[in-house]
Amino acid sequence: MRNTITFLMDDSPVEVDFSREKSIRPTTTVLNYLRSLPSHRGVKEGCAEGDCGACTVVIAEPSETGGLRYRAVDSCLLFLPMIDGKQLITVENLRSPDGSLHPVQEALIGSHGSQCGFCTPGFVMSMFTLFKGSSDPSTSEIEDCLTGNLCRCTGYRPIVDAARAACARGPLDHFSVMEKAVLAELAASPRGSIEIRTPGQLYFRPDSLDEACNALRKFLDACVIAGGTDAALRVTKRHERLKTVIDLGAIKDLKRVGTDGGGLLVGAGVPLADLGPFLEGKYPALASALSLFASRQIRNLATLGGNVGTASSIGDASPVLIAYGASVILRSVRGSREVPLDGFFTGYRKTLREPDEIILALRIPPPDGAFIRSYKVSKRRDLDIATLSACFRLSTGDGGGVESLTLAYGGMAERTKRADLTERFLIGKQWSRERVEEAAGLLGRDFSPITDVRGSAEFRLLAAKNLLLKFWLDSNV
Amino acid sequence: MTAREHTGSLTHESAELHVTGEAVYIDDIAPPSGLLAGRVHYSPHAHARVLKIDMDEARALPGVHAVICHRDIPGENQMGPVIRDEVCLAAGEVLCVGQAVVLIAAEDDDTAWRAERLLRIEYEPLESILDIESAIRKNVLLGPERTMRRGDPDAALRTAPHVVRGELHTGAQEHWYLESQVCLCIPGEGSAITAFSSTQHPSETQAIIAEVLGVRKNDVVVEVRRLGGGFGGKETQANHVAAWAALLCRASGRPVKIRLSRDDDMIITGKRHRYLVRYEAGFDDAGVLLAVKFELNGDGGMASDLSFAILERAMLHADNAYFVPHMSVAARVWKTNLPSNTAMRGFGAPQAMAAMETILDRIARECGTDAAEIRKRNFYGPERGDVTHYGQTVENNRLHVLYDRLMESSGYSARRKAVDAFNAQNEFVKRGLALTPVKFGISFTTTFLNKAGALVHVYRDGSILVNHGGIEMGQGLHTKIRQIAAGEFGVPPGAVRVNATDTSKVPNTSATAASSGTDLNGMAVRDAITTLKARIASSLAGYFNDGAFPGAPSGGATLPEDIEFGGGVIADRNRPGRTMPFAAAMDLMVLRQVSLSATGFYAVPNIGWDREKGWGRPFNYYAFGMGVTEAEIDVLTGSHSIVRTDVLYDAGDSLNPAIDIGQIEGGYVQGLGWGTTEEILWDGRGNLMTHSPDTYKIPAVRDIPAEFRVELLEGYPNPNAVHGSKAVAEPPFMLALSAWLAIKDAVSAVGGHAFEPDFQIPATNEIIALSAARLRRSTSEAHT
Repeated sequence: MRNTITFLMDDSPVEVDFSREKSIRPTTTVLNYLRSLPSHRGVKEGCAEGDCGACTVVIAEPSETGGLRYRAVDSCLLFLPMIDGKQLITVENLRSPDGSLHPVQEALIGSHGSQCGFCTPGFVMSMFTLFKGSSDPSTSEIEDCLTGNLCRCTGYRPIVDAARAACARGPLDHFSVMEKAVLAELAASPRGSIEIRTPGQLYFRPDSLDEACNALRKFLDACVIAGGTDAALRVTKRHERLKTVIDLGAIKDLKRVGTDGGGLLVGAGVPLADLGPFLEGKYPALASALSLFASRQIRNLATLGGNVGTASSIGDASPVLIAYGASVILRSVRGSREVPLDGFFTGYRKTLREPDEIILALRIPPPDGAFIRSYKVSKRRDLDIATLSACFRLSTGDGGGVESLTLAYGGMAERTKRADLTERFLIGKQWSRERVEEAAGLLGRDFSPITDVRGSAEFRLLAAKNLLLKFWLDSNV
Repeated sequence: MTAREHTGSLTHESAELHVTGEAVYIDDIAPPSGLLAGRVHYSPHAHARVLKIDMDEARALPGVHAVICHRDIPGENQMGPVIRDEVCLAAGEVLCVGQAVVLIAAEDDDTAWRAERLLRIEYEPLESILDIESAIRKNVLLGPERTMRRGDPDAALRTAPHVVRGELHTGAQEHWYLESQVCLCIPGEGSAITAFSSTQHPSETQAIIAEVLGVRKNDVVVEVRRLGGGFGGKETQANHVAAWAALLCRASGRPVKIRLSRDDDMIITGKRHRYLVRYEAGFDDAGVLLAVKFELNGDGGMASDLSFAILERAMLHADNAYFVPHMSVAARVWKTNLPSNTAMRGFGAPQAMAAMETILDRIARECGTDAAEIRKRNFYGPERGDVTHYGQTVENNRLHVLYDRLMESSGYSARRKAVDAFNAQNEFVKRGLALTPVKFGISFTTTFLNKAGALVHVYRDGSILVNHGGIEMGQGLHTKIRQIAAGEFGVPPGAVRVNATDTSKVPNTSATAASSGTDLNGMAVRDAITTLKARIASSLAGYFNDGAFPGAPSGGATLPEDIEFGGGVIADRNRPGRTMPFAAAMDLMVLRQVSLSATGFYAVPNIGWDREKGWGRPFNYYAFGMGVTEAEIDVLTGSHSIVRTDVLYDAGDSLNPAIDIGQIEGGYVQGLGWGTTEEILWDGRGNLMTHSPDTYKIPAVRDIPAEFRVELLEGYPNPNAVHGSKAVAEPPFMLALSAWLAIKDAVSAVGGHAFEPDFQIPATNEIIALSAARLRRSTSEAHT
């Protein structure tokens, strides 16, 4: 068991020994750590909640194909132990050893892409990952890469132009030259579980499932994190000192995606950003929901297990997973069990998970020809928590009658919930506009939504009805 | 080389520092020895009597160095910028959630947080007023009503063939500068103090610090290298954080930095004023305005701040680009128990213009005529009239040329037909199109503020250091100043460095605001350089003439007026050979005992008006621009997208087209946010509900127009500002009203343009969906 962490920064291994560092705790964020150093103040705090991207840094780790994979992440949401064994790249590292600017930096200057400059280092880091990934990104890929970075000065147009211009010059740069050396350094990093004890805090980052289950049995009140994007806010916003943290991020068993009788078995710890290739073509509604899920930086950290586990009333992925008939596989020292996601949520941020259980994986059956669509209603298209979200699943018989129907809504109740009365009304009825509009009237009996900062009850109910009509329209395209 | 050769799209002077993360913002300054973290404890009540402030336990916490309240202020407990009605720390009463009560300085943030929890403050909650309507009902004004009037609008309305009446709510807007409010104060000898403040108005920050500390202004230095965004939010309200940091610095005797967290920044600081505008407009069958009566109601918050200057600009822009023969404006600022609202890009003009544009939009719907055509019929011009409702003539009017060119380049007429055809084909997706103009008066309406100072040094190696009173906040001011200075001296821009703004270099300055930064400071810098050039020319002429110069002696004596600066040399324009590289000449000047340091000053001439009568010439000139936006809405979800935007803007002879286009695009997108997704909400107890980017949504990359075409009007130099240029900054913000009205046009299409949609600012997805749903009902009822 280690009580230190090691990561690669500025081409050298950095060891952090929490027992010696008075001002650093295991829940110190990478942002605050970097800003405490004299030479890494290019990283900025804009919001401390992962909503602006000014603190974007890049984490490199070995990819499955043998090279390095570069991920942009919000350093304000990242606890220091989460970068153990990885390379941390900041804006200060982008100049070549000879002092020349990186192509993304040159392109931003060339397109007049900075005004006040405060958001710029974050944009540079996001663009750097795009540069390393694609030499000819589409506009939508560029935008997707930048949804997590807010700029208040430019109006974005010159930044998008710069991203395009920079990528055309990629992906070779001085990081390419160093790739093998970095891989070797990372391979030589210390391994094994980490247990950090500081006054009043225990941070446990096990590298096996058994250790995690044992720890959870011992610390039933522990804060269990995977990507940590939700839990980090307790530290950055509420200034809580989390007493016990169990960080599942180093457990390989949680990071597997497998096929399962035509369906998918998704490890609870797989970052959402990695799911794309598995969903493409086969699970379009889930792929579409995840494309609107937060931002690229957050999808590089956040997991399906975490999204289901936090049981938010909106929970962008939950209505979709319910529509696909997904189930949750839980694991504890007592064994494993599988429960359908429909029924897993028992109340506001409450689930059937016992305190000693870990969410191991989600089983997502194949859609089997059903028509499934997901919808999100939010004030802003990207990086916005939904006012309401929904996913609907329809199977009709030969005569156009409704055989089976799932109408799952988020943001309409204290938990993700199906519209039971409306569903029941439509079963066996003709799938027609008249019937659908009639059925929509029942949603007011299925739900009594609240008025809050994201929308009024009146709007929620109207949109819930309208989405049903939209689903009908989409089913006829 | 002439000055013109130095115009052009030079990159931002800090661009390389920005992209490498090397640019130093205040929070990046290496921590001085003994630095303490400052924290502001603020009121949790919208309105309450403060019964007791007990700081003993907090003071006793190890690591805490100062805990102070109003009793500990050595100077005056006052930080109102114009009207002295805002205390620095609450005394007997708190007037809003977010009002500062106690300040804490501790070894680190965490200790300061823990100390805050040990404060024992007792309040007795009082009744609060949280919106304009309540304030109107209770008649609680922040100051006297202001009015302007031309002609007899009441009589004209009585005889007008058509009249529209209504009211428009415009929402508050958070500045959302990426760098939150921050100030680092370092104690000096005796009563001296240096403040590194993220302020748009260092002279005022200096004055407020001096007042709260009870020292003279010459004890206080305020230095500002750059801001991570301002947008008006740091025009007066940077003073607050600076005053608090200065008080803690004085109390602890140590350097103190206060950097507000995003949530605290949003909770504590004021926003763009909410307005409730009531209007009544009379027009003829052709849609031509005969009379308009406006009633402007601003939500000032708990103190005046700049509310009356903002109200004044709103009154002066209620006409926007339209001649109204009979017009009156009655305007009031209401007092509410919210943080004092403040300057933000546009400064009241957006609220008033939105109302005027709503009138034009409604007239078009009533007449069944395209709204762009209706607007054109009402533009200021020689036929209709070119004197505003406050008596200033609209000179150098570019509205007609902008209109003609933009209608053409945007393909407006064909796209109007295409939009109508699209809407006929689609039940649940609708498109809309709108053109809106902007006419924006350039000058502070408080006339004495229209001035600037500069201090220019030239060193022996030919390098130039320019000091001026303006603040670089991303708008490219220092880049333009660099271009102006380089142009005047005839040297490459790289020879010029623009220094951090510093009250000990250039005193008694105005805020960098009102889009005036380049106009004012550029002229002041030019004035200083003119002085220097005269000294240099005189000495160099003497040098050329005294025989020591090795160049051609023929052709008689060089006169100072023969000396010309350009192409990196200084030369006698009439006598070839009498020339010297700029750097060598500066070395010579030092040997010849010439002072290479000069101040410059500029005051805008020929402006002035009678504020009481509301009549005169408040503005040096007008900036003009025009935008055409096409939007698409999803009738069922209320979501929208901007399909295409065309902007044509009059920047005169642009000093730097790339920077000006950047200002236009950025301003437009900020206006788009105000008009659509940026919604500020308070709960029933005066707590800000949208206090972080989690709930407050400024535009992100996918919210901008899918096609975004911005062009500058070429060939129309501005006679009234430096090098023929024109201000940019604020006016483009209001071009986004074209997006807001394009969305309204799309909503209106749901009801076949037969009904007036319910609409307001911001037009959120909720407003769009609910409004569209009502129109669907109205339409189906009309058919049955």
